Amino acid sequence: MKKISKEDMNRFIQSLLSDYTVYAPVNIDGIFSFKPITNFQGIDLNYQNSKKPPKEIFFPQSETMFEYEKGKVTSAEKVSRKRILLGIRPCDAKANLLLDNVFAGEDYQDVYYINKRENTIIIGLGCRRPLSTCFCTSFGGSPFSRDGLDILLIDIGNKYIVDVVTDKGKEILTDKFTEASEEEVKLAEKIKRETEKRIKSEVKIEGVKEKLDTMFESPFWDKLSERCLRCAVCSYLCPTCHCFDIADEAKDSQGRRIRNWDSCMFPLFTLQTSGHNPRPTDKERMRQRVMHKFNYFIGNYKRAACVGCGRCILNCPVNIDIRKVLKEILTS
Amino acid sequence: MREKEPKILAFLCNWCSYAGADLAGVSRIQYPPNVRVIRVPCSSRINPLFILKALQQGIDGVLVAGCHPGDCHYISGNYVARRKFAIIKSLLEYIGVEKDRVQFAWISAAEGARFAQVIKKVTEKVRRLGPIEKLVKTRGI
Amino acid sequence: MQEVQRKIREKARNLLLAGSVDFVIGFEEGALLLRASPVFIHKENDVEKLIWDSFCENNLAAYLTKIGNKRVAVVAKGCDSRSIVALIVEGQIKREQIVVIGIPCQGMIDRRRIEKEVEGEILEVKEKSDEILVKGDSFEKVFKKEDYLYPSCRTCKHHNPVISDILIGKEVKERAQVDEYAEVDEYEKKSVDERWDYFNKEVNKCIRCYACRQACPMCYCEECFVDNSYPRWLEKGLDSSDLAVWHIIRAYHQAGRCVDCGSCERACPMEINLRFLTKKINKEVKNYFNFKTGLDFAIPPPLATFNVEDRQDFIDSGE
Repeated sequence: MKKISKEDMNRFIQSLLSDYTVYAPVNIDGIFSFKPITNFQGIDLNYQNSKKPPKEIFFPQSETMFEYEKGKVTSAEKVSRKRILLGIRPCDAKANLLLDNVFAGEDYQDVYYINKRENTIIIGLGCRRPLSTCFCTSFGGSPFSRDGLDILLIDIGNKYIVDVVTDKGKEILTDKFTEASEEEVKLAEKIKRETEKRIKSEVKIEGVKEKLDTMFESPFWDKLSERCLRCAVCSYLCPTCHCFDIADEAKDSQGRRIRNWDSCMFPLFTLQTSGHNPRPTDKERMRQRVMHKFNYFIGNYKRAACVGCGRCILNCPVNIDIRKVLKEILTS
Repeated sequence: MREKEPKILAFLCNWCSYAGADLAGVSRIQYPPNVRVIRVPCSSRINPLFILKALQQGIDGVLVAGCHPGDCHYISGNYVARRKFAIIKSLLEYIGVEKDRVQFAWISAAEGARFAQVIKKVTEKVRRLGPIEKLVKTRGI
Repeated sequence: MQEVQRKIREKARNLLLAGSVDFVIGFEEGALLLRASPVFIHKENDVEKLIWDSFCENNLAAYLTKIGNKRVAVVAKGCDSRSIVALIVEGQIKREQIVVIGIPCQGMIDRRRIEKEVEGEILEVKEKSDEILVKGDSFEKVFKKEDYLYPSCRTCKHHNPVISDILIGKEVKERAQVDEYAEVDEYEKKSVDERWDYFNKEVNKCIRCYACRQACPMCYCEECFVDNSYPRWLEKGLDSSDLAVWHIIRAYHQAGRCVDCGSCERACPMEINLRFLTKKINKEVKNYFNFKTGLDFAIPPPLATFNVEDRQDFIDSGE
């Protein structure tokens, strides 16, 4: 394990800026988002988690796929500079692996996503203060999980213990990263253990898929969807949700094709040209959301499309709690 | 280099202001060529989205003209429209869009000379503001 | 509060037992602290779920446009009751369908402000008659309720429901002197570019989740203008210009319909200052058309009518 002082870390980040675009948490009016920074002072790592998930670094909310003008097409699939994603939490890093199933899987390779993924080095920051709404441990994660990271930083006070996970991460290290002493490593291990214990929220995922297999026609969905407002807060803030809409914006002989996030909670999502909508009411849409995450995704990729980050719970305008929903599914 | 000429879009109601524009035309009264006209049946046909979409597309100034109150071909169209216009105009001004970008006028079918005068006035005001930047959509549309 | 809560449960039980309503829409305890969650009670055994506290921040009238022909009882604060009147005036629901359980409201607590003023997560909350006590791992703090109300509650002039079939709780003294539009007036003093900068900064936080639209009782269009594809008014992405138009037109569509309940602001995950637009709309509607939403069944919505003497100083009429 390596280590680096926080001061040297700042200098390191500053040095990265000349060769890389660095995305890091930025604090705007109390809300954190991952934005490209121009100076290490713009970063605020004193945060719980970002409002919008860092999936937007690989799968932007609005992404131009190509532009055209008078027959000449300019594709936008390649990034112009290598990137660093700094300060991502282990739950979100795990979510990226789930998204890889969809965008970089066997059947389909999304060039836009893959190009961004391949050209990004991911430096994660382990969580010292999980919230009562965090339940990453229920989905195979942990506040200091290494999954999906190139480097994991563990904050032990005035310095970071640096766990170099991949070769990609090793390549960017400088000589400021020195070997950590045994005591320092032991301290990091202690912090990891204690923090993991602080995650009180436990969600049973075992058996949920099988139960859901029998519940398609259940009146459970009528009850659940009653209070839902059908906005897209849960879908857009979820690090694993990935539905999108493609549109052409054109005027005369010029325009662009753009991909925008979409949500299964919107009525237009499955509206067909004939006017028929196979998901006509909130009940079908709510059922779809839960089924997709905890049944279909497991059927396709053997994992639930959830990492326990808690964003949907914290931000739902009517305070729907997915943990309660999962519990009710098992007991219904 | 010559400054870019402002583009003005005028929504004219068929029965009064469009007829007024026609009268200016047959009377050979000159007015600035910056204006493009869209004819609508009545000023109440105007949806504020028309105005916003025009600004988004880079139109530098929008004029909406209808019949004088009391003269509407559809009796009360311009009365209802007047309320809509009041709201959208104060909202746009409030958020910081220059107030001369969106203007309203009552022009009757007999007011050919006045139509030309209004166009001159509107064009001048918009020219002084310069090309529009706020609300413009940078790509596509 | 406890007494109000008890009475809500009692009345709900009676209504359900008597078969006067198909279900009751109220609030139950939230999954999180400092929250309450809307709940639909269908059976009299479930009325014990109903609560009433200073976290009942949603406007339950938003659910009334999807009840079809059902008969429904709904818990309504002052602002919510005005939304109900507005929905009836616009023909979206019938008066006979609704049993309004009116609750005079002291104002709802701005949970975001409280959360921002403590160091760390809040793990315990106790509500007293005029204080909120919060505790975390390393702190314990007391907040005076009236200092931490939502901005919309601080300038509210209609704490008491304007209609109700059942009225529960003591009447609250209305603050007739408060200037609801003081902030709008302040804002209008800024320069054109300052106003644009602020507006642009706020709307660029938007992620087009439409939580504001869905939380608003008056946004009930089956197809919202943003979903129109022919004509395509707006694109669906995060282009700055589209974000601006979305917010401008949503505010415009609220003219004569918004009751300033603040649900839009509270629902927005990005904490955009949405009411700064709708407050301006409400101010103009009041000053020009002498109209305030949801106070009178007999007055038609202002944009559906006109007055020959309406203001036209902004129109060039050649005079």
